[in-house]
Amino acid sequence: MDNKNNNDTLIEVKNLKKYFSKNTGFFKKKMKHLKAVDDISFHIKKGETFGLVGESGCGKSTTGRTIIRLYDVTGGDIIYDGKNISHLKSKELEPYRRKIQMIFQDPYASLNTRMTVGDIIGEPLDIHNLAKGETRQKRIYELLDTVGLSKEHASRYPHEFSGGQRQRIGIARALAVEPEFIICDEPISALDVSIQAQVVNMLDDLQKKLGLTYLFIAHDLSMVKHISDRIGVLYLGKMVEIAESDILYEKPIHPYTKALLSSIPIPDPELNAKVDREILEGDVPSPLNPPSGCRFRTRCKYAEAICSKKEPLLEEIAPERFVACHFSKEFYEGTKK
Amino acid sequence: MEKLIELKEVKTSFFTHLGEVQAVRGVSYSLNKGEALGIVGESGSGKSITSMSIMGLLQYPGTVKSGEIIFKGEDLLKKNKKEMRSIRGNEIAMIFQDPMTSLNPVYTVGDQIMEAIRKHQNVSKSEARKKAIEMLTLVGIPDPEKRIDAYPHEFSGGMRQRVMIAIALSCEPDLLIADEPSTALDVTIQAQILDLMKELKNKLNTSIILITHDLGVVADVCSRVLVMYGGLIMEEGKVEDIFYNPKHPYTVGLLKSIPKIESKERLVPIDGTPPDLLNPPKGCPFAARCEHAMNICMEEQPEFFHCGEGHRSMCWLLHPDSPKVELKGGVR
Repeated sequence: MDNKNNNDTLIEVKNLKKYFSKNTGFFKKKMKHLKAVDDISFHIKKGETFGLVGESGCGKSTTGRTIIRLYDVTGGDIIYDGKNISHLKSKELEPYRRKIQMIFQDPYASLNTRMTVGDIIGEPLDIHNLAKGETRQKRIYELLDTVGLSKEHASRYPHEFSGGQRQRIGIARALAVEPEFIICDEPISALDVSIQAQVVNMLDDLQKKLGLTYLFIAHDLSMVKHISDRIGVLYLGKMVEIAESDILYEKPIHPYTKALLSSIPIPDPELNAKVDREILEGDVPSPLNPPSGCRFRTRCKYAEAICSKKEPLLEEIAPERFVACHFSKEFYEGTKK
Repeated sequence: MEKLIELKEVKTSFFTHLGEVQAVRGVSYSLNKGEALGIVGESGSGKSITSMSIMGLLQYPGTVKSGEIIFKGEDLLKKNKKEMRSIRGNEIAMIFQDPMTSLNPVYTVGDQIMEAIRKHQNVSKSEARKKAIEMLTLVGIPDPEKRIDAYPHEFSGGMRQRVMIAIALSCEPDLLIADEPSTALDVTIQAQILDLMKELKNKLNTSIILITHDLGVVADVCSRVLVMYGGLIMEEGKVEDIFYNPKHPYTVGLLKSIPKIESKERLVPIDGTPPDLLNPPKGCPFAARCEHAMNICMEEQPEFFHCGEGHRSMCWLLHPDSPKVELKGGVR
């Protein structure tokens, strides 16, 4: 991607790889690599929300966790604000740990049940030596207020809160260190519909107020579309399409994106009846043993001989529009249907 | 049309050490033969507990306190355990949310389908096996003659849910209760499962109660919808009524809080949190979160108001004496 010298880019991921090794075979002698994330590249601009979608096992969470360096990078570069952080040691990484924060999926598992809410939010302040004593307390109250909770909540424990409120606590904890970039790993999928909207609106407001940049990982496509400026679609550890969110929904090019979008049930009975659903056959193949060539070919109705032989590369077929498919040009021009 | 099942003022409570949790607080509805009814609501609204009450699957400390569940003219609540066992799985079957945990890992898939068949039908082992293969073919499992001897761990999530459906339908039940059948699955697999359910409904004329929190799924599969909140039915109507002309502020709130595909309008969430059913509010359960709440809403539980054929809503706003509020919230 030619955004290397662009000052707008906050984070650039280049050919990122994350393999997990797994012993298989008799006596587990054979080493096999599970290529969870296999050579993906994208960039995120300052103040933008980049959505990452895909089915379970496609590597979307692994991507998020690798960027924040919860996992070690197998290959490729993560360039944050001009600096390559992909192989920094923990001490050197500390300032970036402050700049990059994460919100997790399960608000029940991601908060320590034995700590008060005040301590949960205050912990990052202690770790990074940001505030002590009274200023620390003031900051905690301030953060609680930012996420729509009140002072009194600081002395309570997580079990006293509902799912939506816990997610707010998780967000307050992430905001404590004044990050620039927040990775939201399915932050709303464990919440009820009416509560989801509360959290999404809050993330939206915080972004405007604090100038945050988000990487929003989710499998709920309609919510991702709602919150993101640009969206990347992953399939079996490969990026298959990147586009601005409106354009992606209006005119998806990659057959997988098309199928994914047409699988969403629309909350409108008449529209739903009209939609010509493209239902994918079969399941996602095992990432331990992915198909040769294009990984989607086993479920793709357009697949031809070339698809099993050659792996399609992610190419820019129009400005800000990347697709990895041998027939992307034809799909784009509408000559292949 | 013939009524298959009718619930009359069913109340279910859990008697915990903290007190009585009134999970279902008087629910009445009926379902016709061959109809697909969707029940939507948030967690804790009582939608799953209502169906567990039908199935007689409530576990201690939960019990149905009062009410009647008339299935084919007989009250299920008056049946003893043995009678319920012959109905469950045979005439009423259920599919659960999590296909990963609802199959027994130490028996083959075939054993588990055959178990259901042999329990309710007087057939030989080989006949049951033949029937099981038939069922696997019906739900779209490739190579069923071989796959019948596979164990659940050899199947993917979507395939396991297909097996669950095969077990549920193996005795050709009159009623199928599907509790969030596609929630644990990916969207592309969800589309496959929903498609299969629609197809089977038409083929076998099974009545379906589909419990979900996903309004899209309801719009796709069901013809009628119940909206539940705080252990009560808030609104009931045909899908078109509910989606295009909702008459209850809660339904409106739900529809507003889901993003629209075509626009990036700001979402309108419902503020606050659902009521605590340990001490349910005396009036309308939604009153505390409702922007149109009046004094009476806090004091007295509203009755159902008729808003058209088969469309009813439990809201004081529809009372002739209340101020006229136009609820704008249909998806159109």
